[in-house]
Amino acid sequence: MNLFFNNQNPKSNSSKRELLFTFQSIIVTGLLAFTAIAFFVYNDLSIIKGIKVIFAPFLSVVPLLFILSILRDLQKGFLEGNYSKAEIIKFCIITIAITAAFTGITFLLSKIDALEILLAAIMAILSAIFFLKSKIKDILGMSIVTGIAEGIIVYMIFLF
Amino acid sequence: MKLKQVNTAFLVTTGVSVLVFIYLVFLGYDEIKTLKDVIKIIASILFPIPMLFFVRFILIEHFLPQNTDEYKLKNQKPATVLLILTVIISISFMQLLEYVTSQKLEDNLIFAHLINSATISSYVLNYILYNNLRANGILSGVLLSLAIHVFFLSA
Repeated sequence: MNLFFNNQNPKSNSSKRELLFTFQSIIVTGLLAFTAIAFFVYNDLSIIKGIKVIFAPFLSVVPLLFILSILRDLQKGFLEGNYSKAEIIKFCIITIAITAAFTGITFLLSKIDALEILLAAIMAILSAIFFLKSKIKDILGMSIVTGIAEGIIVYMIFLF
Repeated sequence: MKLKQVNTAFLVTTGVSVLVFIYLVFLGYDEIKTLKDVIKIIASILFPIPMLFFVRFILIEHFLPQNTDEYKLKNQKPATVLLILTVIISISFMQLLEYVTSQKLEDNLIFAHLINSATISSYVLNYILYNNLRANGILSGVLLSLAIHVFFLSA
């Protein structure tokens, strides 16, 4: 089985890391959609002003596209070798902090009682993730994305 | 051949944990009343995945031991000791917890799912990628004790 798995991926470590980062952002996107549906169905959200629903995504998507078009890549990309112990500890702490923060943010999202505001908030978080995915291709981006995912899950398990 | 080195213990434990998983779902079938329960169960099953990706991201080939006979021989004893220790510790811990809180694990399905899915995923990850025999011992211990607890010790 080991042989099988090793032969299947004759890639460099940095491309493996990039793949993992992509997977992680796909998971977070799925989780956000899951959150939106869960809150929508469970909290019985109503649409107060229909026109706002159409314009809610633009609030965050337009600035995102603008920033993506004018900004160069902020980080050099994924490391080929190993991370040092100090770096690992630092980024684990960042991940835990973001997890705690996002548990709180998800709690705030659950308090929203109109669909258009929820939609705008979810789109804003999604845009932030796409920004991380395309510009901060680094361990920092990975720890933030992981923190967001875990924060949403922790809220769903323990507080929802 | 390395392919023949597939650990039978791995297959047995995975089989047992899958059984526990299905059993838990069926056991809790009556308790799944609202959408909220479904959401919680899905969330607890998904819980380990982002974390494992993060671990994989950091430790991409950091602790990759060679799967040689020598390595196995050297780690046989500590891994077995860890397995037995973990089984004893986690069974007594769960018994103590049930005794103290006077609640059954089955009544708190979310936690059973959480422990189970977290351990299974790390087990599979460890088996496929890191092949760390001591970690294997600990994870097998947790899974086995969960299985023993659910099957035999809770009437």
